[in-house]
Amino acid sequence: MTATNGANGAHGESGATEGHTNQQDTAFSTDASLQAHAKRPGGGPRRSIWAIVAVIVIAVALIVGFWHPWARKADQTQSSGAADTVAIGLKLAPTNLDIRNTAGSALDQVLIGNVYEGLVARSSENKVVPALAKSWDVSADGLKYTFHLNTGLTFSNGDPLTAEDVVWSINELESKQYHDADALKNSKSVSAPNSDTVVIELTKPYANLLWALTGRAGLVFDKDAKYVAKTQAVGSGPYVVEQFTPNSSITLKANPEYWGAQPKTPTVVVKYFADDNAAVNALKSNEVQVLAPITASLAKPFEDDPAHYTVEAGDGTDKYVLGMNNAAGKPTGDKRVREAIRYAIDHDQLIAARGGADKALGGPIPSLDPGYEDLTGLYPHDVEKAKALLTEAGYTKEHPLKLTLTYANTYGTDIGDQLRSQLKAVNIDLKVNVVEFSTWLQDVYTDKDYDLSLVDHNESHDFTQWSNADYYYNYNNPKVAELTDEALGSTDDAKRDELLAQAARIVSQDAAADWLFNYRVTTAMDKGVSGFPVNMNQTLMPLAELSYTPAVTK
Amino acid sequence: MKYLARRLLLFVVGLFAISVVIFLALRVLPGDIATIMAGLNSPPERVEALRAQMGLDRQLIVQYGAWIAGLVRGDFGTAMLTGQPVAALVGTRAAITFPLIILGLIIALAIGIPTGCAAVLARSPRARAVYQGVAIVGGAVPALWGGLILILLFARGSGLIPILPASGFPQAGWADPGRALASLVLPALTVGVIVGASMMRYTRSALQSVASTGTIEMAMACGMTRTQALTRVGLRLAMPQLVSVIGLTFAEMITGVMVIENLFALPGIGSGLVDDLGHRDLIAVQSELFMLAAFFLVIGLLVDIAHRALDPRLGD
Repeated sequence: MTATNGANGAHGESGATEGHTNQQDTAFSTDASLQAHAKRPGGGPRRSIWAIVAVIVIAVALIVGFWHPWARKADQTQSSGAADTVAIGLKLAPTNLDIRNTAGSALDQVLIGNVYEGLVARSSENKVVPALAKSWDVSADGLKYTFHLNTGLTFSNGDPLTAEDVVWSINELESKQYHDADALKNSKSVSAPNSDTVVIELTKPYANLLWALTGRAGLVFDKDAKYVAKTQAVGSGPYVVEQFTPNSSITLKANPEYWGAQPKTPTVVVKYFADDNAAVNALKSNEVQVLAPITASLAKPFEDDPAHYTVEAGDGTDKYVLGMNNAAGKPTGDKRVREAIRYAIDHDQLIAARGGADKALGGPIPSLDPGYEDLTGLYPHDVEKAKALLTEAGYTKEHPLKLTLTYANTYGTDIGDQLRSQLKAVNIDLKVNVVEFSTWLQDVYTDKDYDLSLVDHNESHDFTQWSNADYYYNYNNPKVAELTDEALGSTDDAKRDELLAQAARIVSQDAAADWLFNYRVTTAMDKGVSGFPVNMNQTLMPLAELSYTPAVTK
Repeated sequence: MKYLARRLLLFVVGLFAISVVIFLALRVLPGDIATIMAGLNSPPERVEALRAQMGLDRQLIVQYGAWIAGLVRGDFGTAMLTGQPVAALVGTRAAITFPLIILGLIIALAIGIPTGCAAVLARSPRARAVYQGVAIVGGAVPALWGGLILILLFARGSGLIPILPASGFPQAGWADPGRALASLVLPALTVGVIVGASMMRYTRSALQSVASTGTIEMAMACGMTRTQALTRVGLRLAMPQLVSVIGLTFAEMITGVMVIENLFALPGIGSGLVDDLGHRDLIAVQSELFMLAAFFLVIGLLVDIAHRALDPRLGD
């Protein structure tokens, strides 16, 4: 914030004159006695102007400051004592509201279940539960799904929600190839035999169909509504979007047309904080009542004050994947190198450094997803074994293996530093390259030009990425693809889970990547908050049950 | 008049050159908005479809032409991600950043000019050393740290004297002037103290350079005290220098206050620019950068004109 003097041409040499100004000053001070006799009022006006300015500035600041909290105290509460408005602080902000076109869990998080609803929804244990459809039947061959809609469904604009809207939404999804359209596999037709029944027919069984319908692919839109999808939203959920400021905040207001029970809190304000300190200050000053996610170190003061705050870590499907480029020709194309890396990493240390809330994860499927099995025993921390494998592959202390780890700056620099020092012990010279997310997308994800990569794959049911040989891992094992296909084609959930578990075990045994940990989101809340979802709240955050009763003395 | 015409021509040429530089520099960046919109699990066809939908598959020269044609008509384009007109986006962000800068600058001047004068007026070497020390320390305070200290002192919730909001801008914006202004007080103080320290240094050296020309002695010979001579004659003569510094500081603060905006969760111009760049929303970024560059040039123009008005020697 310093302007250069040189920019103002003729007057630029002020610095050069400093040398002899001291002399000048002392010359002035010889008149000290003279000046002491001078009439005071002369110097007065200028000084008093500045004094007045200073007083005004301070006065304005104080008045505004005092006035402000009083104005805020006017917050109304409901008769039950619960607040009319609850504010939630989050981190990753959506850039627009166009949930059919724009990727990013920030949109799912705030819109699904609150503003838009699907035929079915997900519980806090990641199980499929009824939503717009009150029940459904699946034919024995797994090819026909019949959904029975609730009665009296409406959109927030007053339009009735019928089976026609459901059919239109799914057809639009497929014809326009909206985001997540590929989640609906094998679909043959969607039809509405009457206004409250929807039938989806498949060409062959697809075990994840119901689950896919809980996400974006199953959302129902009003076929007659005209609105600007980037800045407005017309859905059937308990809330409507009252105000949206990109990258900054969303105000949700109870939807008076809602077909179900009214949400407990009439207005929910969601604020997004890019800076963690700003977020913490907002919770401390009660500008928000909930903060998610919060890092372990920042959550500490709240944990230490259980009289006013609750701090809780929730389960989720976030997998911190240390991707290794499996392509032949890359050092990590050698299985021994990949195994060595897995042996070299001390997962417990990584988790402890992050505060201990996260869970160890030995394979590609997290505990909330079908096919989970504890695979942490496959590659226990073993420095000697790692060294031996690397020596076998031709890398020694004298000729260390040089690798580059590329990841997005959203994950911080600590984790890269830790990995570098852990891998150093087994003769791997790791260069950590922290980049912008868009650069990561281009270099690693699209161009597959990398050795190691780190990203939080937070999606649920995303195991199919391991059977896709074109995915950025460059991992290709036909057996995995075969097992995955068989699992997704099975009509029996137990069999599906078993097959997926088998495939996941192979991926982990192949050391296709390393799974650093299963990130568990920590939420800090004011003691008076209830009904806020703690599990998976970065992808699904249903707010209908949320309420906040301010403490009487606060 | 001829000077003004030449200066304006330079302004237009400058703008054009800047538009080319901005456009090309942004195209060199890795990554694009379509990949970001498509996310991690979308098939490549979807990325291509999005690129086509946003016109990113056109030739660069066509894209540049479309952008410039819009600019000439006063249309800064529509941000690809948010779907809002860039001009409106910048407008809402400027409604936070500009009041913050102006408030910060007023505080900076209120601190910097009197202390700068006092530093020159101080007669004992010890007092001068103290002023010098204050200026150096004040200028060296990291904005983030200074802001945190102010939050610890005054913010509601965590402060010792909890009177001001720690973060955020009211939902209603300036429709709620009290809260809007209150939310800017702490950030403006943080900015003001830091910029104030450099203002103090500039004022001091400007006054000293004026003093070295002998005008102060002249004024004193006419019967003024040293204080009068410095504050009346000295400040008047130092004004052209100070105006340049203030103008440049103002322009720099537009992006310079970004750290402060982030700390206080104020969605201003600087943080908006970084967001848009991170999302590779190139239409938004290029128009925003263009507006900033234009603003810098306008400030430069105004400073030059002000110089001529303040310093008759530069006339013709």
